[in-house]
Amino acid sequence: MTFTDHCSRIPWHGAGGALAHLVQTGFGGFYDGMAHWAITPEDVLVVLALTLLSALGGKDRVRRLVFTLPAAWFAGGLMALVFPTLLPPMVLTLASFGLVGLLVALNRHLPDAVFVLLVLVTAVIHGAGNGGAMREAGLGWLGLAGACVAVFVVASVLPALLVRIEKPAGRIAMRVGGSWIAAAALLMIGWWFRGG
Amino acid sequence: MRWMLILACLISLVADAHELRPGYLEITEVDPGVAEVTWKLPVVGTAREVPKVMFDADTQELTPPNERLTGDSRVFEWKIERTGGLDGATVRIEAPDGRFRDALASIHRLDGRHTTGRITPERPTLVIDPAPGWTRLAATYLMLGIEHILLGFDHLLFVLGLLLIVDGTRMLVKTITAFTLAHSLSLAIATFRIVEVPEGPLNACIALSILFLGPEIVRKWRGGESFTRRHPWVVAFAFGLLHGIGFASGLAVTGLPHASIPLALLWFNLGVEAGQLAFVFIVLAMQRSWKSISLRWPLALRRAPGYAIGILGAFWTIDRLVATFLI
Repeated sequence: MTFTDHCSRIPWHGAGGALAHLVQTGFGGFYDGMAHWAITPEDVLVVLALTLLSALGGKDRVRRLVFTLPAAWFAGGLMALVFPTLLPPMVLTLASFGLVGLLVALNRHLPDAVFVLLVLVTAVIHGAGNGGAMREAGLGWLGLAGACVAVFVVASVLPALLVRIEKPAGRIAMRVGGSWIAAAALLMIGWWFRGG
Repeated sequence: MRWMLILACLISLVADAHELRPGYLEITEVDPGVAEVTWKLPVVGTAREVPKVMFDADTQELTPPNERLTGDSRVFEWKIERTGGLDGATVRIEAPDGRFRDALASIHRLDGRHTTGRITPERPTLVIDPAPGWTRLAATYLMLGIEHILLGFDHLLFVLGLLLIVDGTRMLVKTITAFTLAHSLSLAIATFRIVEVPEGPLNACIALSILFLGPEIVRKWRGGESFTRRHPWVVAFAFGLLHGIGFASGLAVTGLPHASIPLALLWFNLGVEAGQLAFVFIVLAMQRSWKSISLRWPLALRRAPGYAIGILGAFWTIDRLVATFLI
C-alpha cells in the first residue's frame, strides 16, 4: 500500500456526511474532544497554518490570533451544536486551510482587518465542522470545550515560539511548512472529489 | 466584575470534581475453573442500563448476577465456570449505548497468580494472560494515575492556585516538589491503612484547601503579604497531605492487587505525577508565551482564574459538607 493509498483511508470529518471518527480516551468527554481535534488532520493543519501565518506577521498578529482563533472556533462549534443543519460543505473546510497554507507559502502580509477576518471565517468553518462531529459522537458541548482548549493552548504556545525566529532560513522553513499544508489541502480535496 | 461572578457561579453549577470514576472488575478463582465475579460501578445519575461483563463461549454462569448498592457504587456478583480454567479466557465489557468509561480488571488465580488489566472503550476486550508480566501491571496503574489527576479537577485547580500565588522559578520548584512529596507520602500512608479518613469530610477539606487559595490570590493582586505568599511550599506540603489521602480514596474504589501493592502504588503515583507535571508544564508554557509576545489580557480575564478558584472552592465545600452531614 502506498502512502497516498494509506492516507486516502483516513476518515475525514466535516460537513455534509460528517463522520465522527469517535475517539474514546476513557478519560471522559472533555478529553475525548481534545483527542478528536488532535487526530482530525484538517483541524490540526488549519491551526498550524494560522499559527505560521501569524508568526510570519509578527507579535501583533500573534496577539490577535490568541484571542480570535479559540473564540471563533467555539462560536462555530456552538452554532453547529445548536443548529445541526448549519454545517459548512466539506470542500469549503478543506479549501479554507489550503488557502491559509498558500498565504503562508507566499508570505503575504495581509492588512490587519483582513487577517482577523480570515482567522474568524476559517475558525468558524472548522469550529462548525468540529461541533458537528462532536454532536454526532455524542460528546456535545463538553467535547467542544475540550477541542477549544486544545486550540487555545496551541494558539498560545506555538506562534509565540515561532515568532522569535528571525533568521531567513527559519522563515523560509515556515513558508515551506505552509506550502506542505496547501499541498495537503489539494490532496484532500482530490480525495474528496474522488469520494475517498 | 459582577458578570464574572455570575459566570463563575454558572461554572459551579456544572462543575463536578471526580464525576467519572472507572469501574472495577474482580474475578477470583475459588475452585479449579470456577470463579466469583464482582463488577463494581460508580452510581451515575439514575441510569438503569449498565455496561455488562461478557465472557467467552467456554464460560457458563453458575449463578445469575446479584445486584446490591454499597455507598456510591452498584455491585453485581455472580459465579462462573470455564472449561480449562481461567487462563486464556476473554472478558469483554459491552455498554448498551456503546459508550462506557474504562474499568480496571483484577484476576486472582487459585495458585496465587494475579493479573491486572485496564479495559477501555477503545479496547473493550481483555485476555486473561497465563503468565502476566509486571509491565502490564505498571501500564495499568500508570494510566489509572494519569486518569485520576486529569479527571480530578479539584486537584488541578489547587495546583493552578499555587502557580498563581508563587513568584520565581526557584520557589515554584520548591512548592511543586513539596506538594508532590506530601501527597506521595500520604497516598502511601492511606493506602496501607495507617491512617483512615472518612471520604465525606476529607473531600470537604480538599475543597476547603482550594477555597483557601482564592483569597490568597486576591491578596497577591493587591500587593499584600501573608504567610502563604512568603512560604507557599509549607501550605503546598500541608494541603498536599490531604490531597494524597484523596488520591488514595480514589484508588480504594478500584482496589489494589494484594500481592503487588508497592509496585501498583508506585506506578499509580508516577501516573499522578506525570499528569500533574504535564498540567504545570502547559500552564507555565502558556504564561511564558503570553509574556514573550507582551500579551496583556483585559483585567477581568486576568482575574477570572483567581475568582473561579475561590468560587469553585466555596461551592465544593458547601456541596460536600451538605452531602456529608445533611443528606
